[in-house]
Amino acid sequence: MLNTELLTEKSLTQKPLSNVPSNLKEIPGECCTNTTRRGFLLGKYTLLSLLFLSILALRAGAGVLVAPTVVFISDKGRTGRITVQNPTDKPQEVTVFFSFGLPTSDSLGNVTVRLSDSSVTDPNSALGWVKAFPRKMVLQPNSSQVVRFRARPPKDLPEGEYWSRVVVRSQDGETSLPAPTEEGAITTKLNMIMQTAIMLKYRKGNLTPQLELTETSATIEGEKVSVMVAMKTNSNCSYVGTLACRLLDASDKEISHTSVQLAVYRQLTRRLELPLTDGDFTRPYHVEIGISTSGRKDIPAEDILPGNDLSRALAVQ
Amino acid sequence: MRNSISKSLARLVSIATIVGFASVLKPSVANAQDVANGSATASVQAVLVVTSTAALVFGNVFQGVSKSISNANAAAGIFTITGQGLSGLSMYMQLPDYMSTATGDDRMVISFSATDASVDSTTNATPTTFGTGWQNTDPHNINAATTMGGGGQAALFLGGKVLPTVDQTAGAYTGDIILTVAYNGT
Repeated sequence: MLNTELLTEKSLTQKPLSNVPSNLKEIPGECCTNTTRRGFLLGKYTLLSLLFLSILALRAGAGVLVAPTVVFISDKGRTGRITVQNPTDKPQEVTVFFSFGLPTSDSLGNVTVRLSDSSVTDPNSALGWVKAFPRKMVLQPNSSQVVRFRARPPKDLPEGEYWSRVVVRSQDGETSLPAPTEEGAITTKLNMIMQTAIMLKYRKGNLTPQLELTETSATIEGEKVSVMVAMKTNSNCSYVGTLACRLLDASDKEISHTSVQLAVYRQLTRRLELPLTDGDFTRPYHVEIGISTSGRKDIPAEDILPGNDLSRALAVQ
Repeated sequence: MRNSISKSLARLVSIATIVGFASVLKPSVANAQDVANGSATASVQAVLVVTSTAALVFGNVFQGVSKSISNANAAAGIFTITGQGLSGLSMYMQLPDYMSTATGDDRMVISFSATDASVDSTTNATPTTFGTGWQNTDPHNINAATTMGGGGQAALFLGGKVLPTVDQTAGAYTGDIILTVAYNGT
């Protein structure tokens, strides 16, 4: 089970709730007072997703939990934070550093994120002017640490969105070399090091994501329909939302559907596969594409920049 | 006279003590009132957890005799990734070319072939019982189409090979394996 320190501020003590109006929702392990706690709740979020089973599975391993998965910093507050928790039963050595990497796609529509630490020339890079505190720590079993970020952007920074990757590196805090069990033998010890790279976005000014479809196609490949969607942004910020596809027959009966999370920073091509399921479907088939900035469950609604919606119908070749 | 002064002092001390306690207790009273007016506040955050549940273990190795561990072997290295189901993942491995002794006076070649990794997108985290996903892929270039399973979990199994020379110094050798994971939809 997650440590309750993750659910509430570390510096606060739990107090029993009494006379709480029945219309207020109570969450076990999480109680707050309006006046004493609000001041401490600096960020917008105090509860992490309860991944109980996976956390139990992690106890014997090495690694850390990082939340949230995107850090948003505005030009007004200029601060942000993440929580790093050690859900294992061993101390973890944790290092936080910055890198740069945007989702890019190849001609087949496969998306990758390549990280680079130096020689970053991207004009929207926030590398170098966002700092993390603390940057190194040893997390004891079941303990957590808030890592804060402070942005010091250049004075003449134009309006827009600026990006960096926060890399949280963790490894066992205690390592020992195994002794050979036979004379003259050689033993090995491989240190398994984990790096979690999450996106950090610094936003300045009023931003409205605008996305444009540049090329689309839908082709039958065996027992599936492959849909290629090429997009580009026409704004000074990223477009984050969902891309949904529906495969329909001639009478608009749905054959299959799928959707993916979408993050377009400049240009991106996504490939989706729609299975051709058995059924009483009549040709010709067509595909409906829908793109929207809504529908994301991993990012709080207040952090999503509302952008334009797009839809397109494609004949399947 | 001295007694009455002592009694007066004692009373003053007592009063001061009571006042002191009262002032200390006051915030508690306020807190109790706060609690009465309290509300439950919670917001859910998405998480990403990358962990290693088992290191790649070669066991005892002998001079001049290479040893391989397949990614489907119980001794394979295991990384697990937990997060939002069906999310696209970018995974990169930094793998060593050599392992060194603690003193650094000798090193042993370790290699990873183009089929030494498997990515299981089910909730299975045991290399011997692979579920579904990307089997026997290149750990230097993990499939770009990798996604988290519907259960919000994925596992990476890693095999490898050590090649000790005939005059390899006996003892313990160590090296680092680094796995970097990022969501590609955020």
